[in-house]
Amino acid sequence: MERDSLEVDVLFVGAGPASLAGAMRLRQLINKHNEEAEANGGKKLDEITIAVIEKGREVGSHMISGAVMDIRPLEELLPDFRERGAPLESEVTVEDVSYLTRRFKIRSPIIPPPLDNHGKYVVSLNKLIRWLGPIVEESDVMLIPEFPGAEMLYDGDRVIGVRTGDKGVGKDGEEKDNFAPGADIFAKVTVLGEGSRGSLTKKHVERLKLDEGRNPQVYAAGVKEIWELPKGRVTPGFVMHTLGYPLPNDTFGGGFVYGMQNDLLDIGLVVGLDYQDPFTDPHRLFQQFKQHPAIAKMLEGGKMLYYGAKTIPEGGLFSQPKYYGDGFLIIGDSASFLNSQKLKGIHMAMKSGMLAAEAILEALVADRYDNETLRKFETLVRESFVHKELYEVRNFHQAFRHGRRWGLIESGLQYLTGGFGLLGDLETEAGHEKMKKLHVFNRMPKRSGEVPEPEPVKYDNQITFDKVTDVYRSGTEHDEDQPSHLKILDFNICINRCTQEYGNPCQYFCPAAVYEVEESGGGRKPKINFSNCVHCKTCDISDPYQIIDWVTPEGGGGPNYINL
Amino acid sequence: MKIIVCLKQVPKNDSILRINDQGNWIQDRDLTYEINESDAYGLEAALQLKEKQGGEVIALSLGPARVQSVIKEALARGADRGIHLEDPAFDKLDAYGIAAVISAAAKAEGFDLLLTGLQSDDYGFAQTGVIAAELLGLPHATIVMDVQPGDGSLRVKRELENGYFQWVSMPAPAVLTIQSGINTLRYATLKGIMGAKKKEIKKLDVTALGIDKAALAPRMEFLRVYVPQKSKQTQFIEGSPAEIAASLMEKLRNEARVF
Ligand SMILES: Cc1cc2nc3c(=O)[nH]c(=O)nc-3n(C[C@H](O)[C@H](O)[C@H](O)COP(=O)(O)OP(=O)(O)OC[C@H]3O[C@@H](n4cnc5c(N)ncnc54)[C@H](O)[C@@H]3O)c2cc1C
Ligand code: SF4
Repeated sequence: MERDSLEVDVLFVGAGPASLAGAMRLRQLINKHNEEAEANGGKKLDEITIAVIEKGREVGSHMISGAVMDIRPLEELLPDFRERGAPLESEVTVEDVSYLTRRFKIRSPIIPPPLDNHGKYVVSLNKLIRWLGPIVEESDVMLIPEFPGAEMLYDGDRVIGVRTGDKGVGKDGEEKDNFAPGADIFAKVTVLGEGSRGSLTKKHVERLKLDEGRNPQVYAAGVKEIWELPKGRVTPGFVMHTLGYPLPNDTFGGGFVYGMQNDLLDIGLVVGLDYQDPFTDPHRLFQQFKQHPAIAKMLEGGKMLYYGAKTIPEGGLFSQPKYYGDGFLIIGDSASFLNSQKLKGIHMAMKSGMLAAEAILEALVADRYDNETLRKFETLVRESFVHKELYEVRNFHQAFRHGRRWGLIESGLQYLTGGFGLLGDLETEAGHEKMKKLHVFNRMPKRSGEVPEPEPVKYDNQITFDKVTDVYRSGTEHDEDQPSHLKILDFNICINRCTQEYGNPCQYFCPAAVYEVEESGGGRKPKINFSNCVHCKTCDISDPYQIIDWVTPEGGGGPNYINL
Repeated sequence: MKIIVCLKQVPKNDSILRINDQGNWIQDRDLTYEINESDAYGLEAALQLKEKQGGEVIALSLGPARVQSVIKEALARGADRGIHLEDPAFDKLDAYGIAAVISAAAKAEGFDLLLTGLQSDDYGFAQTGVIAAELLGLPHATIVMDVQPGDGSLRVKRELENGYFQWVSMPAPAVLTIQSGINTLRYATLKGIMGAKKKEIKKLDVTALGIDKAALAPRMEFLRVYVPQKSKQTQFIEGSPAEIAASLMEKLRNEARVF
């Protein structure tokens, strides 16, 4: 079968809020430009094609977030979003910020200003994107789900498009009857909006050294569930954030509980991936969070419906790669446009996409797509609220690296000093470099040859669930007859070094039970249940040897998130 | 050869199902959908026949606006055009009603083969194709695994129990209900997806089809849908082996009444 190829003008990779807002804004700007040109006799832009490719089965199926949303960019993009039935759950009605000890919940008498969500909205990003997709499509943007970007196409170092993934490849790499090679999509501008730890973005940033002189990115992993509670118990717009239990003092993060419509409660835990203990398991910590008396009480009589997990780039301003260059722009989480203090990225993603659209319009008008022309994007970002927000919280995550208590003081000072704090501008270390070896935690096995393991946990299937049960609730599916999309560059390291040094932490940090280590015939062997993978990207980030490479599986594979 | 393939849109295979407030079906809020499994194999069978024989494949679906995505998917995979049967009167049809509407549309269109899936993954009646054949006065075959068209006739392979098959000959036009797993489904290519945008989807309602609404009144109704009650019980008997054995015998005799 021959490889398809397609030429478009502008290609967005990943149908998240960043790309969808960007693509739609670009169409609006082109229409406006042409109307003005018509009125003033200026030069109109010829037919411009805009395409968005997405790895999920549908636009929205991989969408997961909190979320409390700052809706300004939505208002700007679609002033009539209410009339069009935007599925916002509720304006924030009740706010609760609490500190959890093992048994108690201490509610903060005031809402600390950075956590104040007055005027913001509780939304399900999943619902919002499933709603927005068709509207964007109607505005004359091609949305192409089930086509993951597998490779960047270059001419020298200039980006000229993306090659999508092959389909119909068997598990040993053989071509099946229905083999269909990936398509080459050529574009004047390729916009990477792949979200956190984008697989193309990662390699592209490496190739062009776009992160030179920047702090390494630090991430957090968010694990969450949607619960259905007895009728009338959930207050839509209820927003609770917690600090403390079950996270150890040296681990960044916290819990959240949001009230949605239709008796649904959104509950989750965010865990910084720059932790030290190799047995840290975000899914397990989340189970402990739900067992806290104050939380368990909320969930009583309810039923867990949906589960999901995803990483969040927390590094902020100083971890941003250079996000423009010859033939490309990087937007949203992929370029670390996220307010890490408020844990809000949706509005930043949307706005960054919309600013990218403005820069692209200028490029189209000038018919120039080089670094100099696309630098305009950076100028626009610097003039917008996006930069202001990033700047104010530029040191937030870093403040937590000496532990929570110190972090709270430092971040409080940062708030007062406009982000500067006591320590000035801070550096970060990449998360996987902070992980400590087992002996640091006195976790070495008593006898040599024994394998260290954390204490087993019991799941009650009422409030707590094991990973496999939870994964079922994420609707995740991959065709089993395909090569694993989790590439382990060197299995020997897993068995010969990692087992003894770190105790194979992949078993713990993966929230979907993808990694197992099997004892077989006296030896240990890693087993990779890739079809469970919820595409959170934790493994690509946290593996201490950096030998796991997450690549896109066959298009359409992955979670089928609903309401998350 | 002109082939009409019926494609039903059903809730995705492992959806989290919740029963609706009336207790007579599932909640449709928060569902995502896909092509009914055996229908997808019907579509593939039709596309392969067309590749061999030439002709036309028409993708037909009945349901609300959302089912257009199923038709579009079929067009992207290679169907030539689509028919979308949509009308508020089609909202709560039983198998007879669905077959009545489909057969009216198929008759108006004309065809050599009408394919449906073996059964739908949601209702599982396995009736639609069979009733449609009856209403059209045409021969039919069910659980079809292979189709070999001849001159004005067909030879089809049917699946029987225990690994047995049956070959049947019949005159064409005919109605076949297709078994899952009989071929390898193709992927929609990017070219196919682009091309699909230009293909026609004809929309037909009660008036266009000239159907008498009264004739569609359901002959069958769902009274109650519920989650099976767990009736299995586990008891642990404690004590010495002799006591356990005695207690077990007593329970088997008096509670479980197996003797
Ligand atoms: C648990 C959690 C809680 C959060 N809470 C909040 C909150 O309360 N408020 C808030 O504002 N923000 C919150 N965020 C952050 C917010 O969700 C993100 O900042 C936002 O979704 C980023 O949008 P994006 O478009 O950049 O990327 P994403 O939303 O990640 O979208 C990227 C899309 O690209 C697709 N994709 C990726 N790679 C490829 C590829 N190679 N080819 C094709 N498609 C690809 C993905 O499938 C996905 O659909 C939270 C995030 C998490 C995980
Ligand atoms: S395999 Fe990696 S990306 Fe997939 S769920 Fe596990 S940690 Fe996340």
